[in-house]
Amino acid sequence: MTRRPYRSGKFLFLVVIMLTVSVLFCGFVMAAGDSAHGQDRSGDLKDLLYRFINFALLVIILFVVLRKVGIKQFFVSRSEEISKRLEGLKSGKEEAEKRYRDLEKRLQEFEEKKKDIIAQFKAEGLAEKDRILDEARSRVNQILEQAEATVQQEIQAARDRLKGDVLTLATRQAEEIIAREMTENDQNTLVNDFIERVGKAH
Amino acid sequence: MITSKVSKRYAKALLSLGKEDGKYRKYGEDLHDFSSFYAQNEEFALSVSNPVFSLEDRKRILNFVLEKSLYSGTVKNFLNLLLDKNRISAVSGICSYYEKLTDEVANIARAEVITPGPLNEEAKMRLEKVLETLTSRQVRMAAREDKALIGGIVVKIGDLVLDGSVKAQLVGFKESLKRGEYR
Repeated sequence: MTRRPYRSGKFLFLVVIMLTVSVLFCGFVMAAGDSAHGQDRSGDLKDLLYRFINFALLVIILFVVLRKVGIKQFFVSRSEEISKRLEGLKSGKEEAEKRYRDLEKRLQEFEEKKKDIIAQFKAEGLAEKDRILDEARSRVNQILEQAEATVQQEIQAARDRLKGDVLTLATRQAEEIIAREMTENDQNTLVNDFIERVGKAH
Repeated sequence: MITSKVSKRYAKALLSLGKEDGKYRKYGEDLHDFSSFYAQNEEFALSVSNPVFSLEDRKRILNFVLEKSLYSGTVKNFLNLLLDKNRISAVSGICSYYEKLTDEVANIARAEVITPGPLNEEAKMRLEKVLETLTSRQVRMAAREDKALIGGIVVKIGDLVLDGSVKAQLVGFKESLKRGEYR
């Protein structure tokens, strides 16, 4: 939307000219009226001229001042600013709508991803559960095997101890019996056998 | 260990002197006699070995005893040297090692024979002969009794141990049963 400030400036200038001309003609008309009555109205005419000049100066000053201040430009720029802001707001709205659509789309994607993740976690959880159960079963079997081995070892050790105790007792009893029953002849026989064995060993 | 090394060194020194003059057996007997006297008389042993007393006093005591003995001059000098070197307390170790050395020189093997009861002379002689054949050396046996053997005989010659005791047989039988060799 474009503006044309010079057209309105011309319009303003025309208004001022028309006002001046009309005031001027009013002055002439009044002067003519007064002269028709036959009275000397030159002083009034002079006053009117002064007033006119005064008014004209006021108009000129106003025109110059307003031009210097740039009121027209102010309104023009203000109008452009508003139109720009409107355009900005419109584009912002479009941007916001676009972002809303994006967010909606991302939300949808996120929901899908969430579902996927939950499904994946569920699958992993199940796999982990199975793994833990397998491991626990294998550990249980291992413990049972170890316990079985320990039991067998303990049984064997107890057997060995018992055997050792029985043998110790038997040996002790044998010693007592042999010592009791040993005669001098037996001792001589043992010594002779020993001497013979040593002699043969050589 | 140090005492043992010292004893060996002194014993070897005395033996070398004995071999030179051919009196190493006499020196061994004298040393053995003194060693027994030293071991049996505790007061004498303390008097000559305790460094609290002066060397002169200790020498006077030792020589007083030696003068009364019939020991050879070399042995007397040797014992005086031991006193000077503060090694008189090692006389027992020196004597033991000296006997080993003289046994080696004379090709003698010493055997320790252990039996639960007294060994008859006939068996002793047969055993001595067998051992001499076994070691190819002259054997000198020292008999000892040990009831724990129950029966049989044990002979120790140096590091060699010949165990023919009932006790050892029973122990061996017990170990065989433990290993399950008899079922």
